[in-house]
Amino acid sequence: MTNRALRACIAVVALAGTAVAAYLTYVHYQPDALICTSSGGCETVQESSYAELAGIPVALLGLIAWAAVLVLVAWDSELARTLVAALALGAAAFALYLVTLQAFVIDAWCVWCLVNDVVLIPLLLILAVWRVLREPDV
Amino acid sequence: MPPKPRKPPPRHADTRKRNLLIAAAGAVAVVAVLVVVSIVVSGGDDSGTTTTTGGDATALFSGIPQKGAELGSQSAPVTMLQFEDLQCPICRAYQEDGFSGVVDEYVRPGKVKLRFAGLAFLGQDSEKALRYALAAANQGKLWPYVAALYANQGDENSGWVTDDLLERLANENGLDWARLQTDATSAEVTQQIDATSAEAARRQVPGTPTFFIQIGNGEPYVVQPNSLSIDGFRPILDDALAQ
Repeated sequence: MTNRALRACIAVVALAGTAVAAYLTYVHYQPDALICTSSGGCETVQESSYAELAGIPVALLGLIAWAAVLVLVAWDSELARTLVAALALGAAAFALYLVTLQAFVIDAWCVWCLVNDVVLIPLLLILAVWRVLREPDV
Repeated sequence: MPPKPRKPPPRHADTRKRNLLIAAAGAVAVVAVLVVVSIVVSGGDDSGTTTTTGGDATALFSGIPQKGAELGSQSAPVTMLQFEDLQCPICRAYQEDGFSGVVDEYVRPGKVKLRFAGLAFLGQDSEKALRYALAAANQGKLWPYVAALYANQGDENSGWVTDDLLERLANENGLDWARLQTDATSAEVTQQIDATSAEAARRQVPGTPTFFIQIGNGEPYVVQPNSLSIDGFRPILDDALAQ
């Protein structure tokens, strides 16, 4: 896959991630938008003490990270490629922690959090690392 | 003149791998800090949810008429229906945030009365808690018992609604435990639960908490406060009182 194609794929994934993180951030600041339904889940996770990190919503941190990926993917350079990969690696490690919390501590699942943590971030990781390690286009 | 020695070609692949490793190490270090902060800030609270004590529920309800599932003067011009599930963390958030303001500013002066419309759709702990809350109504203490249950809310369907908890809360709120146990399993309470569940279906209640306003004997209409604090409820209740 060419660098151009990989950049496009990363941009698409980052846009999806931004949308999910923006929704979760909105929900965090608008608790009335949340109600408990029989499907359960998100409200428990978003109400948990782990939903914030030193007063900053985890969803907002995710939004900032995805926005940073978008900026970095627009800036096509060796440094930007490496930074996207670093962000992806960090995000993947933190996503693993968040999924573990949902499974074993909060004991509830948040579907949109899982879309972010289990689908989008691993995709970003694969694409970003692939982009760094591939041979340059000739 | 001998030719200048040429620099060896850069080893792009090695450089990229090295940069990636450095970036990965940095990323892992940052995440490690974030995880530690997350655990420390959450205070090792293994439930993952904040817990509160019962607070001064007695003082909050003191002197306010309680009739069945209603709190407030029967002649109040406005009624607010509160569809709740005692296991719902958002309902607990409302109880801890805006509820006391609603009681102090609107219910105590006789402007508004509240009707507890308890649902039990989140699981078995919901139903058990709801049965005892409705049974407490027979002793005129549904509201403080509900407040006490929220203050002790545990993880969803973790079995937190134990007999020990129910008995302790009954004793703390001056309820007759033996009578409460009998009433909780009565056909009357079952009928009340079924009736509220049917009402929720009829009113298309999507979940909890859901609030309705009823002016006089008019048809209740659903409202959505813009926050669960008293600031979210003031415009809704003031508007209803002005009609």
